Amino acid sequence: MIERVVERVFRSVAAVRDDLVAGYRAAGGRMCDSDVTAVREALIARLVRERSVAVGMGVIVAPGLLVDRPLRMEWWQADTEAAPVMLEVDLNPASVGFYDYAAAEWFTVPRRTGRRHVVGPYVDVHGTDRYLLTLTLPVLADGRFVGVAGADVPVARFETLVLRELGDLAADVVVVNVEDRVVLSTSPRWLVGDRAVLTDAPCRALDEPDWRVVVT
Amino acid sequence: MRLPAGDARRAVFAPLDDGAMRSETVVRRLGSAIALGIIVDGEQLPSELQLAASLNVSTVTLRDALSDLRARGLVATRRGRGGGSFVVASQEALTELSRGRLRELGSTDLRELGDVRAAVSGAAARLAAERASDSEIARLRETLDRLASAEGGTEQRRIEGRWFIDVAAAAQSVRLTREEIELQFELGQLLWGTERTRAELDLALAGHRRVVDAIAARDGAAARARTEEQIAAVTSGLIEAHVRLTRQGHRRADHTGSYPEAAGS
Repeated sequence: MIERVVERVFRSVAAVRDDLVAGYRAAGGRMCDSDVTAVREALIARLVRERSVAVGMGVIVAPGLLVDRPLRMEWWQADTEAAPVMLEVDLNPASVGFYDYAAAEWFTVPRRTGRRHVVGPYVDVHGTDRYLLTLTLPVLADGRFVGVAGADVPVARFETLVLRELGDLAADVVVVNVEDRVVLSTSPRWLVGDRAVLTDAPCRALDEPDWRVVVT
Repeated sequence: MRLPAGDARRAVFAPLDDGAMRSETVVRRLGSAIALGIIVDGEQLPSELQLAASLNVSTVTLRDALSDLRARGLVATRRGRGGGSFVVASQEALTELSRGRLRELGSTDLRELGDVRAAVSGAAARLAAERASDSEIARLRETLDRLASAEGGTEQRRIEGRWFIDVAAAAQSVRLTREEIELQFELGQLLWGTERTRAELDLALAGHRRVVDAIAARDGAAARARTEEQIAAVTSGLIEAHVRLTRQGHRRADHTGSYPEAAGS
């Protein structure tokens, strides 16, 4: 179930990535601000299609890649039925509210590993100000790291989706991420966001994301 | 012209709800935003209509505020095509603005600010000790390393503000994080544009490091107690400075008097 949700969101994100790769190639590798804007329409359509799961979707460009702008993200948010809105963050490094995306785990890990990545739960401070799971994959074109494409899934929404599927199992289920943080729990003994070191309990490791499902 | 973007910017341009002294509130809010680097030197402010609407003040009030900011040298207005109001990040003007704020607040206001900070930042530190991941703890340490090597009081204050906000984020609480952003914004109005001596900065830095050590040791009680201690010291420093400035109120023009360097953050 968890893998299915993740896989579905990643499919849309991969399509967004392909759009950006196409834009990069069309620009002959010398991308500008407007080449990023060009992915907007398709991006919004994909976000609207996934809005029951994802609350945000977009691309984040590698610092220094664009010829006319140092930092750039094209990220859209769609909450419930309202029209999608573009996420505006503070990209001025000297500001107390600077959104330092190049240092964020959802950016650094896909850049370093070349693989897709799920991060969270975490507070997206200076960004969306939400409690999120963020799914990202690297955008690579002709051997160059162009940036990442990704989607945000609110932790609360993810919980609802999974709890519905779980039905009424007798045992308690706790899902923890690779940093022992509770992603999901059917019991108030473990709260989402808490650290839970549950090494002794029987568990099933998921392939992706790198989470463990513990039944207690 | 940029519109409000990011949580700190949204805090700057959020509607005012404090009725009295509205144009002064606008002045303070924009001054604080300039000091915290949220609005940058040379940046064009939104149009008077837009700004008045987003702050929920009348255009008359806004014009009063802008003319005050102009008189203080924090805003320059150009007429004609491509004209508008532009930010001037003048250090002296910011310092003068924060002195004025420190003078007009009562010591109970400063104590109250300290009380809320202790509640929010203290709770955040305790929860961060329970919940922060190793990578979040590493980030907190990195921020303090940057603080140690930051040049200039303004830059140091901004990094310190980010550190407090990051502790709240590491507590996994969106609501505490929002409260902390508001508090840092309010605190910034009192502390901006001031230099600390190296020894004072080192003292604050050592205190922050002790908090991170407690978080890393998963000792929530110590993380909270150490945070509260530091905030109490800052509050005392601010109250001392407030009393000093108020007592020498008749010598307002005297800029040579020492500012509350001991205030820390």
